[in-house]
Amino acid sequence: MTKLIEVQHITKEFPGVTALDDISFDLNEGEVHVLVGENGAGKSTLMKILSGVYTPTGGNIIIDGNSYSHLNPTLSQELGISIIYQELSVINELSIAENLFIGRLPTKQVVGVPVVDWKFINGKAAEMLKMVGLKKNPSTVVEELSISEKQLVEIAKALVMETRILIMDEPTSSLTPEEIQRLFKIIRNLRSKGVGIIYISHKLDEINQIGDRVTVLKDGGLVGSKKLSEVQSKEEIVVMMVGRELKDKYFSTRQSSEDREDEIIFEARNISTPDQKVKDVSFKLHKHEILGFAGLMGAGRTELMNAIFGAGKKESGSIYLNGEEVQINDTYDAVKKGLALLTENRRETGFFHNFEIFKNVSAVENLKHSKLKGATGLINTNSEKQMAEQQKEALAIKCTSIFQNITELSGGNQQKVIIGKWLCANAEVILFDEPTRGIDVGSKSEIYKIMRQLVDDGKGVIMVSSELPELLSVCDRILVFRKGEISARLTSAEATEEKIILAAT
Amino acid sequence: MESTDNLKQKKSFSQIWERFGTLAILILLVIFIALFSADKSKFLTTSNIINILYQSSDKIIIGLGEFFAILIAGIDLSVGSILALTGILAGKLMNAGMPVMLAVFLGCIVGGAVMGAINGLLVNFTGVHPFIITLGTNWIFRGLIMIISDARAVSGFPPEFKAIINYRIFGQIPMAIIIALLLALILWFVTTRTKLGRNIYAFGGNREAAWFSGINIKFYTLIVFIISGVCAGIAGMVITAKTGAAEPLAASGYETFAIAAAIIGGTSFFGGKGRVWNVVIGGLVIGLINNGLNMMRVDTFYQQVVMGALIISAVSLDTFVMRQKK
Ligand SMILES: Nc1ncnc2c1ncn2[C@@H]1O[C@H](COP(=O)(O)OP(=O)(O)OP(=O)(O)O)[C@@H](O)[C@H]1O
Ligand SMILES: [Mg+2]
Repeated sequence: MTKLIEVQHITKEFPGVTALDDISFDLNEGEVHVLVGENGAGKSTLMKILSGVYTPTGGNIIIDGNSYSHLNPTLSQELGISIIYQELSVINELSIAENLFIGRLPTKQVVGVPVVDWKFINGKAAEMLKMVGLKKNPSTVVEELSISEKQLVEIAKALVMETRILIMDEPTSSLTPEEIQRLFKIIRNLRSKGVGIIYISHKLDEINQIGDRVTVLKDGGLVGSKKLSEVQSKEEIVVMMVGRELKDKYFSTRQSSEDREDEIIFEARNISTPDQKVKDVSFKLHKHEILGFAGLMGAGRTELMNAIFGAGKKESGSIYLNGEEVQINDTYDAVKKGLALLTENRRETGFFHNFEIFKNVSAVENLKHSKLKGATGLINTNSEKQMAEQQKEALAIKCTSIFQNITELSGGNQQKVIIGKWLCANAEVILFDEPTRGIDVGSKSEIYKIMRQLVDDGKGVIMVSSELPELLSVCDRILVFRKGEISARLTSAEATEEKIILAAT
Repeated sequence: MESTDNLKQKKSFSQIWERFGTLAILILLVIFIALFSADKSKFLTTSNIINILYQSSDKIIIGLGEFFAILIAGIDLSVGSILALTGILAGKLMNAGMPVMLAVFLGCIVGGAVMGAINGLLVNFTGVHPFIITLGTNWIFRGLIMIISDARAVSGFPPEFKAIINYRIFGQIPMAIIIALLLALILWFVTTRTKLGRNIYAFGGNREAAWFSGINIKFYTLIVFIISGVCAGIAGMVITAKTGAAEPLAASGYETFAIAAAIIGGTSFFGGKGRVWNVVIGGLVIGLINNGLNMMRVDTFYQQVVMGALIISAVSLDTFVMRQKK
């Protein structure tokens, strides 16, 4: 077996943290090497060193017998390294085809002058989209795509070029099971051609399906590597990651059905959106209830959430809070009336990259207690800091201090900050759109516990998720969406993966 | 271990530069001009320093308004025309016999607010980038000036008007400077201590995230352009009183000064980043360049060339230093 890449004793220091401490790691030809670890363990940092974005503080990278103290993006590409970043890097203003070939537009000679070869680009782009299973025209502007579609574009972009080393940093965080299986097919195909793949994920069920070897990082240090054929169970990896055993079920779902007329905290009647992505949807949410929304990509769940929250246009329909109809004309109304919406795309609609952690956490709470669209009143820095410290504690946010800029956090920790922002808003009804995206196994169950606590305290929670096991273990009731309509309403006792999939397709 | 310390130093250096970089540019410039001024004894005298402050005051004021427009990743190209139009309005009202204070309030403050609101509403209603909208309204306001004033300067104001703005506190410091500093103080408070300011920064940092967090983008766009308009109106009052006449062609090209003051002050064109006091220093840099070029006896024709070159140098230096961060 030939080694494609070998990393020796890599160390990376950031101000105040050692992100990587003496890490050695290698990748063989035709191997899928899985990298796991808790949020902030250093996975993405190691990958950014390989893609040449970061310069390591110490150590070597050996590729083809040459030793490098650091790489840069151009060199990394020349060496055949391709990367799918955790945070999507597609450019919204460009078309899918332009995104796929950005920075390397192929040209052809026309009367001796090189011009962009659009025919080739569009042809190749269509081919790539077919491969990843994205049914869109290559000339579609990326802005119009949902986050999972953007993730597919990101994957296609990494596959356009022939690569020897493919790094995938949480490629499936926004994908539904069907798309994940298609991706695995692509990965197996590449592996058989000798491509080496580094695969990062928090979805531990995937690891056994696709990996050959697994390496675990913890707090910047190397815990160990194992052949997956020698790993007995998922729990074994969890123990390596967390340092202790995790019990899978911290929670018990409650029986609940829509017929129950008591204590309806929230109701949506006949909601439709102008683009017909949501068609005449009605549902009720009870006090003390976690309601799950299942469905395939593009089933209209996100559009429904946005319409309820006043963030997206609503063509018709009405919303009732505690039995009274409420008018929600913009997101400010929603916040004031006691709604919260954790969006599915943290980079684009979640955090303020120019703010420290504490300012991100307090952003909504600040609006809640002021008038005139949130423009009145003074900032209370002390209470802001207190809030942030509290969330840092409750959600175990890994940071040097609450004054750290949010962009310096790992992806999962950024997600926790945004969850903290909505928890501080003290809403009556909280809409969580893919809340555990990018969150490690240990923290996931902490977040489920928090959700249960919220409903125990008399709030209502709605959770959209593309991970069925998560929905099944957390929700008291599940609504399945298909093409903008509710196709099934299941209590937690009735719901099974099969029933949900059947209703969704 | 040594490398950690290195990184820490680098980081804190870039943070310090973000805070004090503009000040450093100002000091460099002072040294430069002091070295090359034709009559060295005159440059760093109290009276010349006050003179620089006096000349800078209007640039600081419009720069502060522009700062807000740039903070939300927009721009306001109409500040010069608003300045001139509010001057004319106030002048006409005064000459029609309205009490000075009321005329100035209606003409400059209310007038500036209305013109800013027009910008904001147009941006909101059309969804077109503020660059285009304010490029257009700039012409419209200039046209209105010509219509209202018949292309003639308005002058012959009641003497109190000039007296108030040009009043020298302690017999030394002109009111114009105090107005600029007071405005800066208020806006500093707004940006750092109020929810209004925080929400504007949030909007500038990530417009989409702001919308999804309950911040009504259109409302804050309107507010920002009103602030910019009011600042331009205040500058209109100051300049009209300084010159003793409201000229139809006053402040042509002043949007360049306003933008330069904000940008030299480190305000990011991408939005969400910048500090009020650095914009004040940015305005001072502009005033200082003006004054310094006179001190160095640079021919007026060449002054514009040097001015442009100095603005580019100042901003490049900032960009260069910030790029050393990684
Ligand atoms: N640019 C940066 N500046 C300062 N600290 C950083 C920076 N980038 C990462 N870090 C820190 O390095 C550590 C490792 O982060 P990294 O992003 O590699 O984690 P990760 O394993 O990818 O986590 P996740 O599963 O949440 O994505 C974290 O503590 C993070 O705060
Ligand atoms: Mg990561």
